[in-house]
Amino acid sequence: MTESLNPALILILGGALLPLAPDAVRRWGTLALPVLALLALLSLPFGEYGQIRVFGYALVTLRLDSLSFVFALIFHIAAFLTALYAWHVRDTVQQVAALVYGGAAIGAVLAGDLITLFVFWELTAISSVFLILARGTERAFRAAMRYLIIQVGSGVLLLAGAVIKVQATGSLAFDYVGLDSPGGLLIFVAFGIKCAFPLLHNWLQDAYPEATVTGTVVLSAFTTKLAVYALARGYPGTDMLITIGAVMTAFPIFYAVIENDLRRVLAYSLNNQLGFMVVGIGVGTELALNGTAAHAFSHILYKALLFMSMGAVLLRAGTVNGSDLGGLYKSMPYTTAFCIVGAASISAFPLFSGFISKSLILTAVAAEHHWFVWLVLLFASAGVFHHSGIKIPYFAFYAHDSGIRCEEAPKNMLLAMGLTAFLCIAIGVFPDTLYAILPYAVDYEPYTTTHVITQLQLLMFSALAFTVLVRTGLYPPELHSVNLDADWSYRRLLPMAFRHLGSWHQRLTDRVTRTASNSLRAVFDNLYQHHGPQGMLARDWPTGSMVIWVAVLLGFSLLLYYL
Amino acid sequence: MPGPTDDKDRTKKTYWLDQRRNVDRLVYGLVAICGLLVVADLFYHKHTHFAFEGWFGFFAGFGFVMCVILVLLAKEMRKIVKRDEDYYD
Amino acid sequence: MSLLDHLPVLVVLLPLMSAPLCVLVDRPFAGWLIALVASLLSFASAIGLLLQVGGGDAISYQLGGWAPPWGIEYRIDLLSAFVLLIVTGIASLVMLFARHSVTAEIPEGRIARFYAALLLAFAGLAGIVATGDAFNVFVFLEISSLASYAVISMGRDRRALNAAFEYLIMGTIGATFILIGIGFLYMMTGTLNMLDLAARLPEVADTRTVRAGFAFLTVGIGLKLAMFPLHLWLPNAYAYAPSAVTAFLAATATKVAVYVLLRFTLEIFGAEFSLGAMPLDLILMALGLIGMLSASLVAVFQHNVKRLLAYSSVAQIGYMLLGIGLASTTGATAAILHIFNHALMKGALFLAVGAVAYRIGAVTLRDFAGLGQRMPWTTAAIVLGGLSLIGVPPTVGFISKWYLVLGTLEQGLWPVAALVLIGSLLAVLYIWKLVEAAYFEPAPAGADTAHEAPWSMLLPIWLLVGANLYFGIDTDIPVGVATQAADALIGSGR
Repeated sequence: MTESLNPALILILGGALLPLAPDAVRRWGTLALPVLALLALLSLPFGEYGQIRVFGYALVTLRLDSLSFVFALIFHIAAFLTALYAWHVRDTVQQVAALVYGGAAIGAVLAGDLITLFVFWELTAISSVFLILARGTERAFRAAMRYLIIQVGSGVLLLAGAVIKVQATGSLAFDYVGLDSPGGLLIFVAFGIKCAFPLLHNWLQDAYPEATVTGTVVLSAFTTKLAVYALARGYPGTDMLITIGAVMTAFPIFYAVIENDLRRVLAYSLNNQLGFMVVGIGVGTELALNGTAAHAFSHILYKALLFMSMGAVLLRAGTVNGSDLGGLYKSMPYTTAFCIVGAASISAFPLFSGFISKSLILTAVAAEHHWFVWLVLLFASAGVFHHSGIKIPYFAFYAHDSGIRCEEAPKNMLLAMGLTAFLCIAIGVFPDTLYAILPYAVDYEPYTTTHVITQLQLLMFSALAFTVLVRTGLYPPELHSVNLDADWSYRRLLPMAFRHLGSWHQRLTDRVTRTASNSLRAVFDNLYQHHGPQGMLARDWPTGSMVIWVAVLLGFSLLLYYL
Repeated sequence: MPGPTDDKDRTKKTYWLDQRRNVDRLVYGLVAICGLLVVADLFYHKHTHFAFEGWFGFFAGFGFVMCVILVLLAKEMRKIVKRDEDYYD
Repeated sequence: MSLLDHLPVLVVLLPLMSAPLCVLVDRPFAGWLIALVASLLSFASAIGLLLQVGGGDAISYQLGGWAPPWGIEYRIDLLSAFVLLIVTGIASLVMLFARHSVTAEIPEGRIARFYAALLLAFAGLAGIVATGDAFNVFVFLEISSLASYAVISMGRDRRALNAAFEYLIMGTIGATFILIGIGFLYMMTGTLNMLDLAARLPEVADTRTVRAGFAFLTVGIGLKLAMFPLHLWLPNAYAYAPSAVTAFLAATATKVAVYVLLRFTLEIFGAEFSLGAMPLDLILMALGLIGMLSASLVAVFQHNVKRLLAYSSVAQIGYMLLGIGLASTTGATAAILHIFNHALMKGALFLAVGAVAYRIGAVTLRDFAGLGQRMPWTTAAIVLGGLSLIGVPPTVGFISKWYLVLGTLEQGLWPVAALVLIGSLLAVLYIWKLVEAAYFEPAPAGADTAHEAPWSMLLPIWLLVGANLYFGIDTDIPVGVATQAADALIGSGR
């Protein structure tokens, strides 16, 4: 029994029981449960476990192989680090939501069939929304609802696709799916929503920055990387993903440049980083899939680190608007340093984690001779340094001194950031430790002269461009504003359309009923012109319209049956 | 030990970066590093997948030009997509 | 003959005979107790029946010893045993729930008579299911309908009277149509026994009389089961009836009408005639789909929670009709499953809303504000029932939708499957309105601090909620019975 204990259940059930525990136990529990689950994971040999039958279908609730292991491992690490970061939070709802959410993501990664995947897929949506709701503001509430609808909608599509796939193939197994069937298309869209494909992406930039200080960090780790895993499992080598991924790397960085809310800037750059992974899946070679897995691993860490540092700023300074910040390095030196480590990692500076993972993907793209995509990725690499690597630390901690003087972040936050920063550097310095757990054997050396120098050239000249633009005043100033994105379609267009549909439906039913009763009344009026009193029929009681429907339907049925 | 006096000191304290001259020094430093990196291209053999990678200073030029284009395009984009902060409220 | 052999009549007679007893004692508590005991005994009989016919053989019970087709036959097969189980089970839970609810909503002097009428309505529904005689169906239909008008009119709201009157008119028309239809069939075949009818109809199927009879029957039954657009009586009747009545009728009356539709179209006329020669499959599917979407859309804009759920019922009936209209074993399985599952979810929801009415006094969305804190258990039950209504696993709603979608896909009807999913999304919207009001709106300032409903209400509510979850995970019983029953129905026509 213990041998096949699902780590996801440890987190989910443990998390669900936490509210019963006293405050101190609960706090330690948030740290202990991820560790316990990690031990359970590490003690499991690769294989399939937890096979159950539910209404006639065999489910594999736990499948551990080289691909699911990498994702499950980093999810455990992320669950622990985010719990440490949130140690000071006394809100039971957030504590439980974070654990259940992490557990659900792990459960989904370990799912061996589409139904188990669906159940955990929806659980990630439902549990994570509380991290946004816990912010307690009206804005957060509305963003949370939009987030929930989109996430649950993704699950519904997944289920629909699964049903169709079962119908067609008779199998629920979650292996290669492919785009050549309608079921496969639906599942693709379901994954695409969670993976923030272009035009399906906006829930991410909409919701993440509205979550609580710690909630955003938790959110950044799981949902989208779960989708990356699902795509890598179901659609490796799908050409369309190369295009989609390339667009994903490029377009968010334009928004990131003009966005003022620094956590939203990070959300855009998160989207851009996902693009690299999606390209890797699209290329689909062993090297590329290794790159995707490695990049997801290091990405979760440095993205969490960046969100942690911005969370600390939000907690202490009360805002993360670039226009209102500046000079915080004086008050929060450690946070500044950790933020810079995160920035260097996401920008792929040599000796930082991004350098050794992103280059796998770029090399794989070049090896398949996609020169244009490769250039787009190179542009995106320069761009991500530009807005995440420089803009985030610059506007938060340097730029002009905003005069804000606040405390350094709480100790538990610093500890969490320190540990994460350590991991970012450790991976960058000892890439082979990460390469060793990738799905396929790795034969790649990131630290070559060419690679180091060309990468430094790219980054340093991007920095130079930033400097020149700021110095010459060409750089767009940080402004309080909202930038229209794809979410306009459902925040503005759809509500209008739905209101119209509602009133249209009302008018239509009224009119049909009225027309039917009028025409019938006209017939009766004619018939009874010389006979009974007209008042009887002219009376407009609702029962009348019902009876008319009966007559219409009877006549109609008779007509049809006689034909 | 954080304390009231400590805080006061901190607000009065002048940091190295507060002086314009030091910021300029940083910028010159950056320019110097950039220069060295370009020159470095002459001293090793580039292993490349594509021919254009081998051009002298390709990565440097690409990084600089693309970033300028990125910012200028984003600035233009702002004219179209920017709305008041309470647009959706 | 042992007592067990009499179960087919006992299930009907127990409530039927207890009704006059209620009137005789004319005490509120005694009336309630009689009703409860009668329902429970009837429920036990239904369980016994299901166990007896579980093997697949139908029971034929000859009333007064006259052999069919001359005498009246009670005939219990798997389908009728299953529906009887639903009707008696829901009746028992509703009776348990009714004690406090009825005391609050009905004047004391009329309570015993209320129970008598409710028992009659119950007996009528059970009779419709148990009998194997077409004319007997009409008789029991009238008994249950007349009793239903009476109990609906006892609603606290003055509009209940008007609603009952509307229902009376429409119900009478429906019953008359059914009677005319049965009359036509009798004219052509000279028999009223269902099995006999099924045997003799094929010879005369090609006559206008039989077709007219078919038309009258389908429209008449359509009225009773609130098929769109014949549903207009339903929202008011449900909204203004006493809470216990709403829960009882919503969970049983329309289900029994669906049963009658299945019985007449698939067994008596045969699937080949109804869904093959006659275009009933297209009519059911089209009206089912329109009903599903239109009523769901109307539900989204409702403010009165009972009306909201009533429109949702109309939409859910659309799912069942769609299943029948698919004219396949999977489709019929989905319809039969949904009879059972919908009874569970709507029973739970309407009972929970009844508990809210008991504590708060009214059930508009405004009254639901902040309810999550004031009545946590009741609200949680509403949320779980709502999830089932939407079709979220692991609830029974998911199982219904699964089979329905499977049925549509079997025939390559992708767009229909998509519409079913859109219907579910609309359900998300109107259930969400309840959740939003209950959990995210503060209670109105002047509101008295209402507290949780008494256990006698919570118990039946949570039993049903538990059933929603239990049968969503362990699907062997309902799916097994529904599949067998569907096989028998569709198979008999081929």
